[in-house]
Amino acid sequence: MGDYENRGRGGRGYNNRKRRYRGELRKETGGPISGLISQDDDDYDRRPQRRRYEEPPVVKIRKQLLSIAESLKKPEDEIRSISQALIENYDDEELRNNVLDLILQLTVEQPFKIPFVAAVILVSNPQKPEIAKEALVRAASDARKYLEDGSWRQFKLSLRFLGCLQGLFEGDGVFTVLEELFSRAIDLQTASSDDGLGLELVKIILLTIPYILSSSALGFEQQAASLLEKTDIIASTPHALEALVDPYPEAERPREPVLSLLQKQLQTEAGRDWELACIPRVWKLPLGEDGQDPLATATKHAFPEIPIPKSVNPGPKSLFPEVFFSAYADQEVETVPPSTEIASSLLRDALIDTINILDFNRNATARFLIDIDCYFSTDTFIKRATPFDRLKEVAGDKSTWKPEDVAVDAVFSQLFQLPTPEHKLVYYHSVLTEACKIAPAAIAPSLGRAIRFLYRNLDSMDMELSFRFMDWFSHHLSNFGFTWKWTEWSDDVELPDIHPKKAFIIGALEKEIRLSFAQRIRGTLPEPYQPLIAEAKEKDAPDFKYSFDETPFALEGKEIISLLRKKAPEVEIQGVLNLIQEKAMGVGIADPLIPSTDAYVTSICAIGSKSLSHVLSCIERCKERLLAIGPQSETARRQIISSAMDYWKDQPGVGVNIIDKLLNYTILTPMSVIEWALIDHNDQGRNLAKSHIYEMVSTTVFKVTNRVRQIVAARDQEGLPDDQVNMLNETLVREREEQKIMFKVIEDSLINCAHGTKDEIMENSNSVSVDERLLRKWPERWLKVFRRKFAVEEAVIGDAVRVQVKAED
Amino acid sequence: MPTATRSTVDRLDQPSAYFLGRQSRKRKNDRDRDDREDKERTPEAVSEDPLKDAATLYVGNLSFYTTEEQIHELFAKCGEIKRLVMGLDRYNKTPCGFCFVEYYTHQDALDCMKYIGGTKLDERIIRTDLDPGFQEGRQYGRGKSGGQVRDEYRDEYDPGRGGFGRAVAEERAKEEREYGSGK
Repeated sequence: MGDYENRGRGGRGYNNRKRRYRGELRKETGGPISGLISQDDDDYDRRPQRRRYEEPPVVKIRKQLLSIAESLKKPEDEIRSISQALIENYDDEELRNNVLDLILQLTVEQPFKIPFVAAVILVSNPQKPEIAKEALVRAASDARKYLEDGSWRQFKLSLRFLGCLQGLFEGDGVFTVLEELFSRAIDLQTASSDDGLGLELVKIILLTIPYILSSSALGFEQQAASLLEKTDIIASTPHALEALVDPYPEAERPREPVLSLLQKQLQTEAGRDWELACIPRVWKLPLGEDGQDPLATATKHAFPEIPIPKSVNPGPKSLFPEVFFSAYADQEVETVPPSTEIASSLLRDALIDTINILDFNRNATARFLIDIDCYFSTDTFIKRATPFDRLKEVAGDKSTWKPEDVAVDAVFSQLFQLPTPEHKLVYYHSVLTEACKIAPAAIAPSLGRAIRFLYRNLDSMDMELSFRFMDWFSHHLSNFGFTWKWTEWSDDVELPDIHPKKAFIIGALEKEIRLSFAQRIRGTLPEPYQPLIAEAKEKDAPDFKYSFDETPFALEGKEIISLLRKKAPEVEIQGVLNLIQEKAMGVGIADPLIPSTDAYVTSICAIGSKSLSHVLSCIERCKERLLAIGPQSETARRQIISSAMDYWKDQPGVGVNIIDKLLNYTILTPMSVIEWALIDHNDQGRNLAKSHIYEMVSTTVFKVTNRVRQIVAARDQEGLPDDQVNMLNETLVREREEQKIMFKVIEDSLINCAHGTKDEIMENSNSVSVDERLLRKWPERWLKVFRRKFAVEEAVIGDAVRVQVKAED
Repeated sequence: MPTATRSTVDRLDQPSAYFLGRQSRKRKNDRDRDDREDKERTPEAVSEDPLKDAATLYVGNLSFYTTEEQIHELFAKCGEIKRLVMGLDRYNKTPCGFCFVEYYTHQDALDCMKYIGGTKLDERIIRTDLDPGFQEGRQYGRGKSGGQVRDEYRDEYDPGRGGFGRAVAEERAKEEREYGSGK
């Protein structure tokens, strides 16, 4: 450890930007004591000459604590130096409060540092037991608060801090809490088979055990083993909702639920005398003069009270089972811990917490990812940025785990978390972008290998995730000059458009163009890809079909656009529309409103072709007439969609945006969009492979589900009068019913589509071609996604309804 | 002791120094004026944070050629966009490198600060800043020649923002002409 050029800056590079805010922060806090990491840097930058005064001890200790384990120094020395300073100045009340608060804050904000800050408390204990005593009081009070709020992550981290301090306690210490947690988990699991909270509790138990057993405490192996025996029944039983959140439902290898993996890993580790090699033992002190370990002979403390309430608060989020995800699982040289190793879960858990806690500073997150090797035992990882093809040669008989692969893998596990990750997907995009910017030589090749893995396995990947992959990939490239080695996928350009790989290529290029422009993207592509970008995409505006005389109603179409352009009175427009309708009836068109709507909407699109705001202002101007179409004829309403999508056929992204706005105006209904996409325009199932169709349907579904969730949120506001609650409850029942119908329509049309393709295949040929086999897959993949969405909404709203019923009792 | 606990890591969803500087200047001006005009001004009115519920962002350092659709594509990743107002040259009514993005919620705007500010759009690093809300008139550049002030005096060449700053370009053109006429 310690020979990386960037370690000197380790964890500090991103702090430079603080300089800008410094004035304000000082003013607000009324002094130099604040949560800042980098005041020293600031001072140093401003005044290059030697400092004339010693900074106050509290500032010095804070700084050392905040940067603990980040620097080139041996963490053991840092810990002892902080501990010494704390002991010497412990009588200073401000310092004491400040430092202890900071230690507990670091526990829940920078979980990588828990073993290090816990060690500060631990090694101070022989000389000054008051420190530990006070720290325990505070830690327990925090833990009780987290428990009360259902803040399970923070509770877990508090327990981890206490677990690292197990050596301080008389009796069983943290195990008393773990045992109690387990009995709650059993209750919850017995009460309901799709309970998620019980699983979460067991996970907390299992993730605390390793930190206890790698602490300075001795002789807890038996307790750990007996607890593990008990958790097995819960951890190893497959959960009812597991199949719904499987990232690779069609893969041949068995699904690996996070919890059961963790259980097995711990059992394996128990069999190896709890080696727990990756957790650093930074608390080790030299033996005293009497040959005794000072930690062992120091004062012991009673374990603080952390009672687990009879009915635990499930917290704000609905909890779903997790399935393990890795983009580096099948390589010939191991670059991440295999899923049989406890290190796999310990590293992943600490990484995920770090990533999700620090969403408010992606630069800091990225720095942590790059510096991950600072926070674990020295031999856990191979040297940073070791090229993949030199791993074996560099590693010899040591670890080949690449720190950047382990870090990137954790970000992907969140990006591909089902049903949804904790933060918006774009957060995880931004973390990868920053990491790539900080350490391109280390991160970029790791991303490359992950991309290849994801691409290779597109066929078996959950469809929602394949669209997330597409979205991330194009966004990521947009931050790095759109460079990718497209040549390695050149052969796949020959595949049919409904092949998952080809669909990915088409969709990704489309998204790249939406972030940039067609000509630019064309320039980044090798020859075989050129036909994928239609010439028409480079046009300033699409053709207006009525300007071609062969188009039916060409004359009237031209008339309408010119009337709209010069903002003619509505009666004149109505006149032309009537004319179209009469002519249409004359030639036997069943719904004459269809051709007139087509001419009207196409004209609006053409007038608004310059930009989104142009089309929006045109829609605004025409909204009365547009609003009147739907109630007259459902097919004409769907014609609005056809016209917009047809006008923008070469830039479907623009069309999808317009549809979205038309939904907001209630000119379209969610159902009309869904039926248009899945019934009218499904092109024998071929459209299901198109990313913009998925985008259209999923944003529409989101609008509906989000509305229901908002009603719940509005109802659950505090202090709402009863009559309003009742009113919202009635709305909720109605909207929930509509939501249910919507999902039913999706389900039915996809099932129909699946049967349709099957029937067709039966009729058309004796042998099933590759193309047909591919076609059959799409409705199934869609079904999986939308069934999950429905189940999630039912679970989330169901939880909310249950909570209310409980509150009423 | 500070009452509110500051995080151990800085937040990226804070208003910029530019905004805060302007705010405090404005407050000072208000105060000066009020001292003169109205002694009974309520202090609370001043201390109210104009960004408390801000759902609008000022977006800067765009290329003049970046379209609404491109902006929409990127910014919609943080939530549905309620309104997008392109910044225009006061005289030509052409895009001049900034815009306002309005979301439906404050949270979406904060997320945008955290996840999109400082990343690239159209291959340029863009800047986002929380904004108290768009008002008619603010879509126009405030520079002398109609664009943004920063594009008046910029002395490095930026092809995405009309080359050299306009004042600088003017100066250079003048030198050119004078050189040509034998001075």
